[in-house]
Amino acid sequence: MPSDRRDFLKLSVAGAAALSTMSAGATLSGCTSSGPASGMKLLRPEDVELLRAVTPAVMKGKIAPGDTAAIEQTVKSFDTLLADLSEPVVAGVHQAFDVLSFGLSRGLTTGQWSSWSKASLEDAEKALARLRDSGIGLLNAIYAAVIRLIISSWYLIPDNAATTGYPGPPRKVASPVPVVAPAAKETRP
Amino acid sequence: MTDLSQVILGSSTDPYNKAAERGWDIRDASALTSSLELEADVVIVGTGAGGGTAAETLSKAGLRVVLLEAGPLKTSSQFDMQERAAYRDLYQEGTGRGTKDGGMVILQGRSVGGSTTVNWTTSFRTPPETLKFWTEQMGVSGCSPKEMAPHFQYMEQRLNIHKWPQAPNNNNAMLQRAAEKLGYSWDTIHRNVRGCLNLGYCGLGCPVDAKQSMLATTIPEALDRKATLVHRARVVKVLRDGDVVHGVEAEALTANVRGTTGQKITVRAARTILAGGAINSPAVLLRSNVPDPYGLVGKRTFLHPTTLTMAIYEEAIDPFYGAPQSIYSDHFQWQNVDTGPIGFKLEVPPLQPAFAAGFYSTAGEEITQSMDQIRNTQCMIALLRDGFHEQSQGGAVELNDKGQPVLDYPMNDYLMEGVRRAYNVMLEMQFATGAKSARPAHKQAKHYMSWKEAKAAVADLDVVAHKATVGSAHVMGGCPMGDDPKRSVAGSDGKFHHLDRLYIMDGSLFPTSIGANPQLSIYGLVYKLAGNLAKQLQA
Repeated sequence: MPSDRRDFLKLSVAGAAALSTMSAGATLSGCTSSGPASGMKLLRPEDVELLRAVTPAVMKGKIAPGDTAAIEQTVKSFDTLLADLSEPVVAGVHQAFDVLSFGLSRGLTTGQWSSWSKASLEDAEKALARLRDSGIGLLNAIYAAVIRLIISSWYLIPDNAATTGYPGPPRKVASPVPVVAPAAKETRP
Repeated sequence: MTDLSQVILGSSTDPYNKAAERGWDIRDASALTSSLELEADVVIVGTGAGGGTAAETLSKAGLRVVLLEAGPLKTSSQFDMQERAAYRDLYQEGTGRGTKDGGMVILQGRSVGGSTTVNWTTSFRTPPETLKFWTEQMGVSGCSPKEMAPHFQYMEQRLNIHKWPQAPNNNNAMLQRAAEKLGYSWDTIHRNVRGCLNLGYCGLGCPVDAKQSMLATTIPEALDRKATLVHRARVVKVLRDGDVVHGVEAEALTANVRGTTGQKITVRAARTILAGGAINSPAVLLRSNVPDPYGLVGKRTFLHPTTLTMAIYEEAIDPFYGAPQSIYSDHFQWQNVDTGPIGFKLEVPPLQPAFAAGFYSTAGEEITQSMDQIRNTQCMIALLRDGFHEQSQGGAVELNDKGQPVLDYPMNDYLMEGVRRAYNVMLEMQFATGAKSARPAHKQAKHYMSWKEAKAAVADLDVVAHKATVGSAHVMGGCPMGDDPKRSVAGSDGKFHHLDRLYIMDGSLFPTSIGANPQLSIYGLVYKLAGNLAKQLQA
């Protein structure tokens, strides 16, 4: 095992270096669009295209591939979540999306050789599995971040969370009312 | 449990409702239209467990205190127990903070009260094993269990820390039941609450001020004693004149604390205390280019790397309701101190849905079908006790090109062995108590249907960074204390070794991780250090 581990680490470092080069290459060659997509605070048009493709795979069982309204709601929620994080996190997410979005690096990392707008549910599932199972740590990291953000975006919407059977938190009102309705009181003073 | 969504809570408990009446001097830096200059006996950077305790102690001694907080002032009137707003407003980087390689998510507070505003109220004295290790191996003086006892005792009274008297919620009860079944030691957790309604939303800000956080206790006390609180003010660096520090320079942040407004805040003070927590305190020192002859600032930062397993039961668990943490087990924690495999503490976390889903570590139907059984889900966490063994030296805080802190903390084989062992311990406990299925937080895992299946599967899992989900809610170290400047950043009195009038009073002083949830360790230590500083300044 130790020698396997060393090989893995070498591959991981080499892979990370190659990918960051590709990502920089994509930027330098003008493949990335700089500004946010229309109606979005931070997501760029290519990010939206990617998210539209992978969201039904990540949220399978809750979002059907053709359910445009649910997909758009999740993408919009993702954009809001991203704006609620921090500048370094946003930069990291954009870099990860660069790797997944453009030509050669998209094909090599996800097996998706045509654009994301042409990806089927099955293509998206295969792409995600490939990132998840890769021996390259950076790709595993991208997988972890992408699924966590999409899943959080969906469950952060209270109506979506309610579909799990979660009854929701107590209701908070602005006026200085005392506690209404039963709630267990601590027995010790 | 009762359906708590039918409960209605008001805002009558919020002490900040009467801020004007009580004459409190609270300034929102985002509203500044010109630079602000203040003078004080003591300026304190940060309002969490360290800053809050120091502020009360020093202002009660009659000293004029100015508190600076990078986060916003959010109080119980605004705590509506909705996840999105809480994560956005009350956590560092909106819960997006992570280690440099993205291998660990770091949950750390960022509003007035710091992490005490959002922690789960679990209160342990620093374990005697840890204090002994600091004394014998790390060159810390004055920190024996006997010397620390009166300080812990004082803060326990101050914050009403007591053993939780109610029945644990089912999420915690399952940990107790499993420990009993398998013959593991367990005990009930002490909590810093007064009049707790047993709701379960401590992590989103206590809506009724039952939690005795700094926001609800020491900061109001300091404000009553004429302290000034400036929030949305991020300290850039300490001000120096040769070897003497005489205050800090801060920048005003925008209302959402994601940007700067361009206004400056300068506080000149006879003493400066850093209490920004174990990532931000070393970052202030690094940005200030302080002397660091042995290259120790920011090193030895510890996280209690934490992993988890999820299990689904027939019976209702309702893991989102009820005191989040009331039972723990140290059965696997102190089998050795600084030799052998890493020890870990077992606890449970509350499972509000977005939080639970985010840590489930899977996608597709595995996540959506699992989440549909959230009411029957139990979660166990193992917190690895890092910083004791020679193969666990912690991470390093660095600055990026914008001067923002980044924590480089790679998970090595020694730590990952602990993760795999913890998976096994927790999965066995869950199946022993009748779980229908259980899974470790690993991206390539799935729900296993029996302990036998789980054990075989875990043996085959590739337990490496990113595939194994590891997080942290306890950031410690980075400015370790000790008497030898070659091995420590600050003295055992909290004074920075290489400059005068500069002190550190927060969890960054810890020379190792604590081996328990750290809030009471910070309270007790800082109460002692700030008390000694107050005596010096009064003399």
